[in-house]
Amino acid sequence: MPDRRPSRLVAAAVAAAFAVPLGALVVRAFADAWRAPGLVPQRFGLRGFDIAFGGARAAEALTISLVVAVAATSLALLVGWPAARVLGERRLRHPAPVFLILALPLLVPPYAAGFGLSEWFIRLGLSGTIPGLVLVHLLFVLPYVIVVLLSGFGPQVTSLEEMAQTYGAGPGHRFARVTLPSVAPTLGAAALLGFLVSWSQYGSSLAVGAGRPMLPLVMLPFVNTDPQTAAAFALLFLLPAVAALLVATRLARSPL
Amino acid sequence: MGARDPARLTAARLAPALLVVVALFGGAIAGAVRTSVSPLAGGVSLDAWRELLEDPAFSESLLLTARVAFLSTLVSVLLAVVLAGALRRRGTLIRALATMPVPVPHLLAAAVAVLWLAPGGLAERIVGGLPVELIRDRQGLGIVLVYVYKETPFLMLLLLAAMGRSLSEREEAAAMLGAGPWQRLRWVIWPTIRGPLMVGTIVVLAFVVGAFEVPLAVGPNQPTMLAAYAFEATQGDVIAGEQVAAATLVLTTVIAVALAAVAVRFARTAEGA
Repeated sequence: MPDRRPSRLVAAAVAAAFAVPLGALVVRAFADAWRAPGLVPQRFGLRGFDIAFGGARAAEALTISLVVAVAATSLALLVGWPAARVLGERRLRHPAPVFLILALPLLVPPYAAGFGLSEWFIRLGLSGTIPGLVLVHLLFVLPYVIVVLLSGFGPQVTSLEEMAQTYGAGPGHRFARVTLPSVAPTLGAAALLGFLVSWSQYGSSLAVGAGRPMLPLVMLPFVNTDPQTAAAFALLFLLPAVAALLVATRLARSPL
Repeated sequence: MGARDPARLTAARLAPALLVVVALFGGAIAGAVRTSVSPLAGGVSLDAWRELLEDPAFSESLLLTARVAFLSTLVSVLLAVVLAGALRRRGTLIRALATMPVPVPHLLAAAVAVLWLAPGGLAERIVGGLPVELIRDRQGLGIVLVYVYKETPFLMLLLLAAMGRSLSEREEAAAMLGAGPWQRLRWVIWPTIRGPLMVGTIVVLAFVVGAFEVPLAVGPNQPTMLAAYAFEATQGDVIAGEQVAAATLVLTTVIAVALAAVAVRFARTAEGA
């Protein structure tokens, strides 16, 4: 029974509830002066962007955030793929304990995990390094990547692979021509979600970062002291999420 | 792959992921416990734990964390169930739009909250004054608000995924057999959403218990949420502070895991009843 109430109106209302609060962030980032009780800024300008991205520290923060997110996501996909295959193809008679272990990172506060690992990392020379940050992010990215990836595997993929094998395709060929294309949408979704989880990490990065700048770390102090600069940071911080939304909305419009 | 020994192959495929989680999770817990009982002078001492439990600010922090976690989870779950019910027959585009806050980082949601709800913020300018303080208020309502904004769509996503087309079909079947709306809710809808709702509730509860950057941005200065309390301890006395922070974080993790265990237990009992 399809709902016949005006869909467009509902869509607009839902989108506005999300977009209006965030829209203020865009205005705030370009408002050099916006004192109460003004509903529109008194003066526009780029002061916030100058402060946020003028120094070398901001460039370093952005680079580290990007490198760590890409590395942690790639590593999670590599480690998570075989496990997701086993779980997605329902090869285990008792999958619950495996799921439970893989879900443990969802229960531990990121700051606690980073804090607990920081002393080991100091001894191993990983404290404040990119590999150290990647490792601690991996703990939080992995569960999400596996949960998304496993939904892409199943009898339909396995039977395609078997068909390819019957026709004499070797393992490499089979992977590139059959497996990869058939799980590509879930692989993309898993990569996007993994990237976002790493990109947003605050507590774990602070604990093992030893003062290395990352995007959320350099943004937080401005939230209560300099809203314009915080908004400028926020716009950059929001970009990957916007990309995720565009992909999700496109998928929703044209189901595969 | 010549699967001569399927069991061994399965184990080999699971091993890397399980090893990563066990090593990092185990290492983190072991590290935090070790720091909490290791004074600089060497040996083992429970001084940090004693100090922690005797600190009135810690009890207040624990209370605030419990209140904020339960309130955020309760409101998010109720809203998510209502909204998922309202939106489940809508088109895929509307449902995609409704889950938009899911990928937005928590810190960003907190920055938006400050922009709108802080004293002198946009909401106050528009309506001319807010009836309650919402940012840096002693009750932590700002934290609750940010988590409700973030976690309601997350829970809704889980619920909508569970309420697929097959649910409508089973509901129609039940209706044809003469089941009223209340019976359909009890015997058709509830069993379908119970599982994902429980998983989601546990995750949200654990998220809020361990909340860190959101309370730093919009939470009260005094008392603070547990993770922020730990962070403040490290900012004071360099060595004793580390120990107290470690003890706090061990306790925070134990609370999150214990709440999850209780929730699972509770759901099992409800299932058996």
